[in-house]
Amino acid sequence: MSEFFEMGGYGKYLWPAFALGFGIVVLNLVLAWSSLRNAETQARRRMEMKP
Amino acid sequence: MNWVWFHRFGSPPYVYGFARRWAPWFGAVAGLLMVVALYGGLVLAPADYQQKDAFRMMYVHAPSATMSLMVYSTLAVASAVGLIWRMKVAHAAAAACAPIGAWFTVATLGTGMLWGKPMWGTYWEWDPRLTSELVLLFLYFGYMGLRAAIEDPQKADKASALLAIVGAVNIPIIHYSVVWWNGLHQENSTKLGSDADMAWSMVWPLLLMLLAFALYFGAVFLIRLRAELLRRERNASWIREVLS
Repeated sequence: MSEFFEMGGYGKYLWPAFALGFGIVVLNLVLAWSSLRNAETQARRRMEMKP
Repeated sequence: MNWVWFHRFGSPPYVYGFARRWAPWFGAVAGLLMVVALYGGLVLAPADYQQKDAFRMMYVHAPSATMSLMVYSTLAVASAVGLIWRMKVAHAAAAACAPIGAWFTVATLGTGMLWGKPMWGTYWEWDPRLTSELVLLFLYFGYMGLRAAIEDPQKADKASALLAIVGAVNIPIIHYSVVWWNGLHQENSTKLGSDADMAWSMVWPLLLMLLAFALYFGAVFLIRLRAELLRRERNASWIREVLS
C-alpha cells in the first residue's frame, strides 16, 4: 500500500496535483450552489417586498 | 431545417427548467465516470517507461487544460450569439462560464507546475504553452472584472462579449503553441485518428476523465446559469412560479 502512495518517488508531486485538481472540482460545485442559493434568497426577498 | 429547438433556448423560463432538470444527471454521471477513470489511471494503467508514475498527473492535468480551452470557446461562442441575435440567455450563459473556466485554468497551471518540477526541474518556465495559458487566466479575470465594473447590464453584456470574442484568438495560440514554437511542454498526449503513442490501458482512463470533466462542466454550468437567470430576470413573473 505504501508503494502505491509513494508512486515511485513521485508521490510528493502527484498527490498534491490530484488534491489541487479535484479540490477545485469540489470548490467549483460548492461555489455554484452557493451562488444559486444566494440568487434564490434574493429573489424570494423581492417577492415578499412586492406581493 | 427546424430551428424551433434553438428558439426555445432563447426563453429564460424554458432554459431555467431545462437546467434544473438536467444538472443533477450531468453531475451524477460525471461523478461516476471520474471514480472509474481515477481507478483506471491510478491503479490499472502501467507506469510510463520514461516518466514512470509521474505521467499519472496527466489524468488531472490534461482534462483541466482541455476544459479551460473548451469553456472559453463556449464563452466566446455564447458572447457572439448574444451580440448577433441579442439573446439575453446567451449573455447569461457566457457569464456563467467565466468563473468555471477560470478555476479550470488555475487547476491547469497548478497541476502543470507540480508536473513540471520533477520532469523539467522547475515549477515555472516562460514556455509558450505555459505563458499562453496564463494569458487565458488573465482573459477570464478581465472578462469577469469588466462585467462587474459596468453597472448597466446591457452595456456590461456588450463590452464583455467584445472582450471575449477578441480574446478567443488566444485559444488556437494555446493549442498550437507546442507545434509552432520549441518549448519545454510536450505535444498533445493523444491524437485521435492517428497512431496512438500510448497503450490503450493508459488512454481509456484519460478519455473517460475528459468525458467526466465535460459532463461535470455541464452540471456546474447549468447551476450557475440558473443563478444568473434569477438575477437578470428579477422582475419577471416566471420567477414567482418557479420559486413557489
